[in-house]
Amino acid sequence: MIPLLIANSLALASLLIMMSSGLALIYGLRDVINFGHGALYMLGAYLGYSIAHVAGFWVALVASPILLALVGAALENLVLRPLQRRSHIEVALVTLGLGIILGQVLIFFYGGEARTVDAPLSLAGSVTAFGLTYPIYRLFLIGVGLSSCALLAIWLNFSTSGLHVRAVSQEPSVARMMGIDADRLSLLVTSLSAALAGVAGVLAGPYLSVDPGMDVTMIVSCLIIVVIGGTGSIPGAIVAALLYGFVQVAGSVFLPDLAALAPYALLMAVLLVAPRGIGRGRVLD
Amino acid sequence: MNGQAATRVAYRRGAALVPSARGSRRILAGAAALLLFTIGAFAPQYLANDFLLRLADGGLLLGILALSIAFLMSQAGLVSLGAASVYGGVGYLFAIAMSQWYLSPLAAIVASMVVVTVYAAILGALIIRTTPLAFMMLTLAAGEMISHAVLLEGLRDYTSGADGLVVSFGGTLFGLEAGDFANSARFWPIVWTAAWAIGSAVWAVRRSRLGAVLRATRQNEERMRFSGFDTYGPRLAAFVLANVIAGACGLLHVLNSGFVSPESLGLGLSTNALVSALIGGTATSAGPLLGGVIFAFAQDQFGAHGLTQLLTGLAIVVFIVLFPSGVVGAWRDFAQWIWRNRNREAG
Repeated sequence: MIPLLIANSLALASLLIMMSSGLALIYGLRDVINFGHGALYMLGAYLGYSIAHVAGFWVALVASPILLALVGAALENLVLRPLQRRSHIEVALVTLGLGIILGQVLIFFYGGEARTVDAPLSLAGSVTAFGLTYPIYRLFLIGVGLSSCALLAIWLNFSTSGLHVRAVSQEPSVARMMGIDADRLSLLVTSLSAALAGVAGVLAGPYLSVDPGMDVTMIVSCLIIVVIGGTGSIPGAIVAALLYGFVQVAGSVFLPDLAALAPYALLMAVLLVAPRGIGRGRVLD
Repeated sequence: MNGQAATRVAYRRGAALVPSARGSRRILAGAAALLLFTIGAFAPQYLANDFLLRLADGGLLLGILALSIAFLMSQAGLVSLGAASVYGGVGYLFAIAMSQWYLSPLAAIVASMVVVTVYAAILGALIIRTTPLAFMMLTLAAGEMISHAVLLEGLRDYTSGADGLVVSFGGTLFGLEAGDFANSARFWPIVWTAAWAIGSAVWAVRRSRLGAVLRATRQNEERMRFSGFDTYGPRLAAFVLANVIAGACGLLHVLNSGFVSPESLGLGLSTNALVSALIGGTATSAGPLLGGVIFAFAQDQFGAHGLTQLLTGLAIVVFIVLFPSGVVGAWRDFAQWIWRNRNREAG
């Protein structure tokens, strides 16, 4: 019972980590919460669905994130950079609007009904270990989630560009004074976040489903995680995603009637104890 | 910034006119407003058909909801994405108070408004401390929480889940029967009067000390705290007021439509109201009300093709990027530009 619970919450948390660390990265560079991040995830999922139909799941898992990275580059060049002198609230609202447009365009092309994506044959069965039978696909999901988390940590901590990202996130003006090109970094980070959303979207296909409401569900979860984790803090977002996944899964097991409200209860509880979240994020402004 | 500009304009006007002329001008403006109110309350019933009236009723309701968002936005710099949760929630409360608690319609209205006020005060006390961006995320989360709560299995007996509730009452409310509220022509003067009353109340709060403190806090909270002002209480009061407006609007809506469903408290409606506020411009009382009507008519065009939400998204982007002060603001800028050019030519 308990191992199953932990495994399930890790599987959910894997998706949430990829999404919310992307949100936190963009916030660090541009001071903007991308309210359209859920729509990017939805785009990744629908692209994954189409590509998987034509060329198979593995091709989709590579191609969809690459396409999403291009969308991210467009978002940076056409929206975030031209609007960087505007107030952050206004830019956040513009991303909200763009997210709604993207979601509607997807619904226009794909229709309103939910789609299912089958896991590839090599990941289709389930495996028994420690007296527990568990679907291989979910283990794969956990593997991808945790390794993307590890790669992100290695990149941020052990590379020059990662150092620059951390510098800009902590002290934007000083970092610029020291000759760091924040615009170029932001292009990299926005593309990377969008690509992560693409990975999450494709992976969500066989695990959850591909449906028109997935963008709102995801962005609301991510916003809760980002607030709990301390905005802009990636370690905070990761811990919060794990916590969120556990609360969501445990809630649906122990309190099925109230499970939908569990994340909000968690949010309110954290806000009461620590209004700035559990991580050491930069203060929102 | 708007406040400063307004003060400057007022100062210039004041300097140009002798006091008695300013007084008579104020009387003239009041008379014009009274005339507009009276004509607006009765003329449409004779001029417009049922379809147009229904659209206008809905537009003005959306406008009042937009006014609640615009008030918080322009005075406190806080954007709420959860306005619909109060708007729809009050409808559910009203229905439940009558069917489950056996209250009279009037008592049900009072009870539901009390619950909304308490809810807003508690939620506000929690989230008003955070920064504007976090506030926006938290109102979205709180709104989604209410939408999920309505759909809970355990509350199905009260809320009927996704089917929604039919809300009707026997007897009379303020001398009107349930059918009167549902009749688009009878409802128009009611919603028109409510829009004027709420619009004037917001206008008065804007000009009051509370408004001044809110705007100063929006510009620099630290400076205000340093100068010895309480920055928490006024913002909490503004949040509660905005929610009371949204609640009153929700009551009008439920009386008019006789039906409340999860759709009436979802994110879609909140963003529609936000867009209406942006279309009209958030700086005035008339702007969001006008924006609501404009949005309702535009939605009627787009909605025929199932593209309502697309309109919402496009309008958010266009109005923030190109017309940040909305149609009312853009019109004022244009009029001022003409005025200035004419003066230059004359002088």
